[in-house]
Amino acid sequence: MQPESILLCVMFLALTAYAILGGADFGAGVWEINTAFQSNEKQRKLLYSAIGPVWEANHVWLIFILVATFGAFPTAFAAICQALWLPLALAMTGIVFRGVGFAFRSYTSAQAQQQAAWEAVFAIGSTAAPFFLGASIGAVASGNLGITRDGKFEGDYLTGWISPLSLFTGFFVVGMCAFLSAVFLTREASQLGDRQLVRLWRRRALATGLAVGVLAMAGIFFVAGSAPTVWDGFRSRSWPLVGGSVAAGSLSLVSLLFERYRSAAFATATAVAAVIWGWAVAQYPYIVPPLISIEDAKAPANILWLMIATVGLGALLVLPSLGYLLYLFKVHRSQT
Amino acid sequence: MQSVLLLAATDASMNLLAARWQMALTLGSHIILAVFGVGMPVLLLAAEWRFLKTGDLLWKALAHRWSKVFAVLFAVGAVSGTVLSFELGLLWPDFMARFGPVIAFPFAMEGFAFFIEAIFVGIYLYGWNRLPPWAHWWCGVPIAVSGVASAWFVVTVNSWMNTPRGFRLENGVAVDIDPVAALLNPSTGPQTAHMIVAAYMVTGFMVAGVYAWHLLRDPTSMYHRRALLLSLTLGTAMTPVQFVVGDWIARRVAEVQPVKLAAMEGQFRTEAGAPLRLGGLPDATTRRTNYAIEIPGMLSWLAYGDRQATVKGLDDFPRENTPPVAVVHVAFQIMVIIGTLLLLLSLYVLVTSALRRRMPDSKIFLWLLVPAGPLSLLALEAGWVVTEVGRQPWIVHEVARTADMVTHAPYVGWMLAVTVGVYAVILGGTIAVLRLLARAPLENDRHAA
Repeated sequence: MQPESILLCVMFLALTAYAILGGADFGAGVWEINTAFQSNEKQRKLLYSAIGPVWEANHVWLIFILVATFGAFPTAFAAICQALWLPLALAMTGIVFRGVGFAFRSYTSAQAQQQAAWEAVFAIGSTAAPFFLGASIGAVASGNLGITRDGKFEGDYLTGWISPLSLFTGFFVVGMCAFLSAVFLTREASQLGDRQLVRLWRRRALATGLAVGVLAMAGIFFVAGSAPTVWDGFRSRSWPLVGGSVAAGSLSLVSLLFERYRSAAFATATAVAAVIWGWAVAQYPYIVPPLISIEDAKAPANILWLMIATVGLGALLVLPSLGYLLYLFKVHRSQT
Repeated sequence: MQSVLLLAATDASMNLLAARWQMALTLGSHIILAVFGVGMPVLLLAAEWRFLKTGDLLWKALAHRWSKVFAVLFAVGAVSGTVLSFELGLLWPDFMARFGPVIAFPFAMEGFAFFIEAIFVGIYLYGWNRLPPWAHWWCGVPIAVSGVASAWFVVTVNSWMNTPRGFRLENGVAVDIDPVAALLNPSTGPQTAHMIVAAYMVTGFMVAGVYAWHLLRDPTSMYHRRALLLSLTLGTAMTPVQFVVGDWIARRVAEVQPVKLAAMEGQFRTEAGAPLRLGGLPDATTRRTNYAIEIPGMLSWLAYGDRQATVKGLDDFPRENTPPVAVVHVAFQIMVIIGTLLLLLSLYVLVTSALRRRMPDSKIFLWLLVPAGPLSLLALEAGWVVTEVGRQPWIVHEVARTADMVTHAPYVGWMLAVTVGVYAVILGGTIAVLRLLARAPLENDRHAA
């Protein structure tokens, strides 16, 4: 296998982990926009204690993806950063407010008003970040950014990223985060044995699951209409993955109906993973469709191999540690 | 007028100005948070270790209180670090396209170190009552280790920008890349050591300054006394080390970046037996450094170990390749003067505590210690200005100009304006939260799980 392909696979694995783990954390913030107005103390406690120990670690996947992109595909990185500077800057602002909002609300419980203000900051940041990250992905997939083959950007700096597909993807990713979060929180509430909370989150999970499912169907029309390269790839290669995603999503809804929350969580995560890999396979071999392929943008082979070695070594340290973190606070949650 | 123009910056020179101010603001903020990220875990571990050894709950209260302060600073540092990784692409896309692969290796290593740090921060902060006491302490160790590792890897990138190695230029793009040679460039050793020791110093003196202030108001408090003891130990132990490292880095700069040394010292003319200038204000038009106290031959001796050695002056370099000398010289003087004051303070602490077998705690000493914290922070920022402004006009020393690498995107000025607003909110929030933490009754922490 070519080193650039290996590294690209690793990057999409990291993106998958980020979408599932980081996405659930964003989703908690999306829900907080709603719950800030009407939820009781118990509901908020579940939400904030669920993401407290893990959100910092879940966030690092994004840093890794950024570093891997500029290390392995430097010209594509530079072109994307210019074409998508506005949505990326807005996503960055959302990430900033999400992070400080969460940290500050955690240590201002002595001052209810101040805490409420930071919770609002956290909620808005948590919603803006996935929206603009999603919109950036949609903009890349549309293949309509005005980036030349040698990585020069010739489009409009202010509006070039806006397209029906990019806006759709933004909303879709926000919905996906809310769905993930609702399913995970249903499971955590049931681990804690709180039936009232289980009912609340189960209802929310079912409602958002249906909504995201409908949105996903609509998405196929957006892709067909405005992303020719990805649409070709979808029809010829990646339709089984997207079909798998629909199946996993349906399984998740069924599991929720039958109160099997662990399998609902796994099915939802699988549905998200399948969507991401469906996009990856459909867009292959382009990194910025329709002109810049992986081959065009790749860094020298020795750099790619070194990065693969670094990832391997890093994974040896990170994965067991991450496993321990998740084991402590997710698997054995019921003990507290 | 210029600030108005900055907002609508469309031409390259305005973009350069806005982008550099943005980097100055965001890096200058991040460096403060990063030094606490490196230094605080050591203090945390020391306090918790004392608790585990003695069973004294006051030590636990200290460790628990500090872990919350650390949690806030770490979270803010994590987002300000994220801002930096976005800015690399948003402000300097050409730099990343040409040199990204050369510096990707240390950034990837830093990413993994940060990963480990974030994971164990989660375990440590939320694990006080989930883990057996010693297991909890051991989960703090990876935080301290990966904090240092992160700092080391990130600073290697900056040292590479000062002394770029391990590649060849072809049409302005780096080829034939040797990432290990790039990583282990001539500046790496002294620069990483200087930064990491500075991180411990600043943490030590900042925390010591806070508790010296509290001890002045509440002289009988055992809590404040212990907090002061730990932080002062860290600060004073590191300061003499920093003088040795400082000498190392200055001699290395003299060897590999003589133009930066000339700017640091306000040395315009090349001369044998160059004097060391204390203070003074370089005047770029008359090419003289005025008002300085000069110690004859001292600069030659410090830089090359020979009082008659020739020190290259700024006039020996093409004018378009020299940094803004006044800023670099003044920043360097600020760093050295504060460093010297901190060294005197540290020697006093080391000598008196060795003679009297206890920490000095006279009122005068505590009053001197209060400003030591903010001053150490000022020295840190000044040192950062020396290395960054001293490298100008190059982004990669003698390889790529900063002006050529800045983005052509319009609205960089608007981004700067928004960033200033966002960082003001973060600064205000951080101060408000830390004040709330400081006012909470200690009992909460003593019995906290």
